[in-house]
Amino acid sequence: MRHLDDEALSALARREPEAVKYFREHLATACEACEGFLATHSGPDVLDGQVDAVLLALAPPRTDAPLDEVGFARVRRELRKPHLDTRRWGLIAGAVAAGLLAIIVVPRLRQGGSGVELGPASQESGVKGQVGRIALELAVVAKGSDGALRRLDPDTLVDSDDVLLLRYHATEAGTALLFQRRADEEPQLLGTFELEAGTHDLRGPQGLSGVSLEGESGPLTLWLAASPAGLEPSPDEVKRVLVGEGERWEQGTLAVTRFDVRVRSGQNPR
Amino acid sequence: MGSTEGLAEWVRRAASGETSAFSELYRRTRPLVARLMAGFAPLDSDEVEDVIQETFVRAFRALPRLKEAGAFEAWLLSIARNRARTRLERKASLRRLEDDISDPEPETVPALPEALQLERDIEVVRQLISELPDGEEKRTVQLFYIEGELSAREIAEQLGVGKSAVTMRLERFRGRIKRELLRRVLAGRWE
Ligand SMILES: [Zn+2]
Repeated sequence: MRHLDDEALSALARREPEAVKYFREHLATACEACEGFLATHSGPDVLDGQVDAVLLALAPPRTDAPLDEVGFARVRRELRKPHLDTRRWGLIAGAVAAGLLAIIVVPRLRQGGSGVELGPASQESGVKGQVGRIALELAVVAKGSDGALRRLDPDTLVDSDDVLLLRYHATEAGTALLFQRRADEEPQLLGTFELEAGTHDLRGPQGLSGVSLEGESGPLTLWLAASPAGLEPSPDEVKRVLVGEGERWEQGTLAVTRFDVRVRSGQNPR
Repeated sequence: MGSTEGLAEWVRRAASGETSAFSELYRRTRPLVARLMAGFAPLDSDEVEDVIQETFVRAFRALPRLKEAGAFEAWLLSIARNRARTRLERKASLRRLEDDISDPEPETVPALPEALQLERDIEVVRQLISELPDGEEKRTVQLFYIEGELSAREIAEQLGVGKSAVTMRLERFRGRIKRELLRRVLAGRWE
């Protein structure tokens, strides 16, 4: 007799008719083997949540609880931290190294006064980084003057002769704008990039793109802001969004991720 | 259960970037997640807080990718259970630190049956409980699920048994209910 196992469960998740037919009958009566398996394995789909929703609905309804401020503050704090899905990113430094022959340093477009200063309200970008029909994650690797690569945690100290390489994960293809901001300056547009769905290194038409830190010192923020393909984000629109005007983010068509580093004041300050 | 539609609206608002919608989702669903955690007796209160936090962080990060707003509650509870189990298994050293029970991918969570079906499921489960032979398992299930006040730890104290025994009874019973609901899903809802 066949009982539920991993293989059967994924066959059921794929709605394979043969498996559906067999287990529909098999599960009609108590089966210790299958029940034991179901108790200790999750799925298919969100069946576990459905089961728990039904079980928890057996008790008398609870009175409407006020917001647990402390608990929610913890969640918010965590969401604000730039986030890397380690399963997805894996050994990022190694992956980037393979394509490292030609780094095109993104030219700096020194801009005038059209930028907007970002107030503290715009800092809470954790949740917002995922917002929209395109979701985006960002990882940053520093390439040192000796050629060595190291993956950066947010707020890491980097050297001014490092070049920052960006790797993104996008849920859809789209167009992205890369912005940077120095300590007390306005956000600057560094460039526009086409994104592919999946995990890729940020590249321009000429190859892998890097952000040179030459002449920098102090805190530096990078933003990658993306819209799904066909919805070209305009730099001014994106800047407005970075400022965090209102609660609603452009009807969810823009995903923004940010990454902060601190540049060690080098021997050649600006 | 009756608030499922209301919840879905908040899910949509959160997915479109309305930050206040996240706190409303948290306010509405945290008690449910906390009640789920109360069944995992081996977890102490700090661990429970951590698991609740991790659950919401994961869910809120992935929320914009959730295609079916109406499935939010079941999806959230699935994540919560996975997080609690991962924590328990790590605690028991069954699972290496880097291993992780993977959560249902938000893009593939299917639409769930409407509230009416849920009401029917609830009735089926009530019936199954009433048919349980009198004994420790039935008593545990009644205290935890029907009365819904005591935690598994408190039940263990009241019944004078070890705390993991209570969780094991609840899990065993839940396995039976899951089998029954899976059969019902296979019998009708996927065809
Ligand atoms: Zn079986």
